Amino acid sequence: MAESVPAPVDHGREPRRRTRAKRAVSPDEVLTDELGRRAVELSRFYGGKIETVPKVPVRSLRDFALWYTPGVAEVSRVIHANPDLSFDLTGRWNTIAIVTDGSRVLGLGDMGPEGALPVMEGKALLFRWLGGVDAVPLPIHASTPAAIIETVERIAPAFGAINLEDIASPKCFGILEELQKRLPIPVWHDDQLGTAAATIAGLLNALELTHRSVKEIRTVLLGAGAANIATARLLFALGQDPGRLTVVDSRGILHAERADVDELSVRNPWKYRLALRTNGGGRTGDLSAALEGADVLLAASTPDPNTIRPAHVRSMAHAPIVFALANPVPEIWPQVARDAGAAVVATGRSDFPNQVNNSLVFPAVFRGVLDARARSIPDEIVLAAARELAKHAADRGLSEEHLLPTMQETEVFPHVAAAVADAAVRQGIARRRLSHDEYLERAVIQMSRSRQLVRALLRSHLVPPMPRATPPTPRRRTR
Amino acid sequence: MTGAPSVSGDVGPGGSESTSVPIHLRPARATDLPVLVPLLLRLKRLNEEFDPLLRVRDDAEVQAREVLEASLNDPKSIVLAAEGVGPDKDKVVGLVNAVLRERPFYTPAVEGVIVDIYLLPLYRRRGVGEYLLKEVSSQLKAKGAGLVIAEFPAQNEIASRFYAKRGFRAITERHARSL
Repeated sequence: MAESVPAPVDHGREPRRRTRAKRAVSPDEVLTDELGRRAVELSRFYGGKIETVPKVPVRSLRDFALWYTPGVAEVSRVIHANPDLSFDLTGRWNTIAIVTDGSRVLGLGDMGPEGALPVMEGKALLFRWLGGVDAVPLPIHASTPAAIIETVERIAPAFGAINLEDIASPKCFGILEELQKRLPIPVWHDDQLGTAAATIAGLLNALELTHRSVKEIRTVLLGAGAANIATARLLFALGQDPGRLTVVDSRGILHAERADVDELSVRNPWKYRLALRTNGGGRTGDLSAALEGADVLLAASTPDPNTIRPAHVRSMAHAPIVFALANPVPEIWPQVARDAGAAVVATGRSDFPNQVNNSLVFPAVFRGVLDARARSIPDEIVLAAARELAKHAADRGLSEEHLLPTMQETEVFPHVAAAVADAAVRQGIARRRLSHDEYLERAVIQMSRSRQLVRALLRSHLVPPMPRATPPTPRRRTR
Repeated sequence: MTGAPSVSGDVGPGGSESTSVPIHLRPARATDLPVLVPLLLRLKRLNEEFDPLLRVRDDAEVQAREVLEASLNDPKSIVLAAEGVGPDKDKVVGLVNAVLRERPFYTPAVEGVIVDIYLLPLYRRRGVGEYLLKEVSSQLKAKGAGLVIAEFPAQNEIASRFYAKRGFRAITERHARSL
């Protein structure tokens, strides 16, 4: 569930025909092609998307006697005596690394570290714009979990937190667990935690709307990738009965006696543990068998609108909750699910109501843990973010069409940040303990400063305005 | 009935030592074959995960049946079926296959080799491995073995740790390469 952003390209062109495949290309594909072409053009024009900018006055070279040697020597000594002061005397407090090995980039698969760089730059830009966070894109040449873990451990002194990004499942689980154990700063994997937190936020409100308690629901997770495995863990933390949760993947219902369960014990212990712990009724078979009588379906599987059929929804409990989160195409179109009886439907897309979007989560979570100078990021913090998001949507009036704040409701972000910082204080992992209002104020300032900064750069033409798009070159017919 | 002859009666956890082990061991019978064969295949497929030199053959199912049948008829073999307890009573959830081998040059002269040991995942832990090992060891000893040996893929670290904790160490090594 990647961040989805409204598209600045018009649909006005005729779908063209591919000479070889001889099929009409959908408008969506044309749009995506066009956006891609434009993105390459602009990437070339601007030479990438971010740069480092000083945050101190530099009037002349003489100021470097303070910012650099000899003055800086004393700063160095002070921090050497107490390394935690690096959070006060350097930019560490607001700086994170976006680390990837490029092994699972967006929906593209293994793009390698260089191929991942433009994506990480884009994420850094989102961190800056939405969260006021200084994010450094850091694709690394390392593929084994041990190599990734060691690399991140070695670079950690420069950062206030680490965001792991686009690392393939299942190795992402072990890497996250190990780094969370080893590092004195928060480590987050957005594909797991960001998506899971947004899902939980939406689900909490969907349960409220349909008068259900998480302790009683029968839940089906379709897809057993990074997001759903994290979602399962958060659900258990909220009181979901593991016996009343069934996981379905491409091989059907996951259960303790499935033929591949020993293979999972070796290759994916996280999924293996789910196999042993869930599906209390001992159901076997496919999605249909899992869904019968279920209250909730959380799908994070394949982008095919026929993955979930109307009959599936009809077989669920009365007024079921259906989250079809595959991108760019949900597992069932929202209207189809509603027509089949779903009381609440959410997707990963911004053009339908109830977008489950990790961009609702990660900027605010990082703002919060950075402002609290948190030492880690336990699940309690993830849940605090989810609850705060849910609360803000509810404050504006809960309905089947309004489960979650939209990306336009930016006033939500500082509140989620403050809730996260409060949770860090409660968990006893905050290096800097402030009141809720102080955290909130800092988040507001830091987040709005980012946007002012970007606008000021544009106004002054230090960032040149976007050049016009060059007209698309007509594709030549082969032969 | 072709169970291993020295195994007299059941050796379930309800005996001398009371434990909460969720299984119950008994000699395997020919009638168990339909459930033992898939369990043995699961074990071989698990082994396959550790090493490409342990790739399971297409006809492994037929082979599993023949191997188990032969073991059931071999007085030098011990084949045990693990059954669940409580609601899973009468459900075969695991197996142990061990064999006595002569040691013409060394002493003690007979070793008992645990060739196959498998339990469905839900019946593992809670001291089950410990219990299985103890039972099969004492039965091998009763049949004259002076040494118990466990065979498993070199890359299976969980097995390595399990046996190391219980006083096992590598005695001979088998190194392989493809031809």
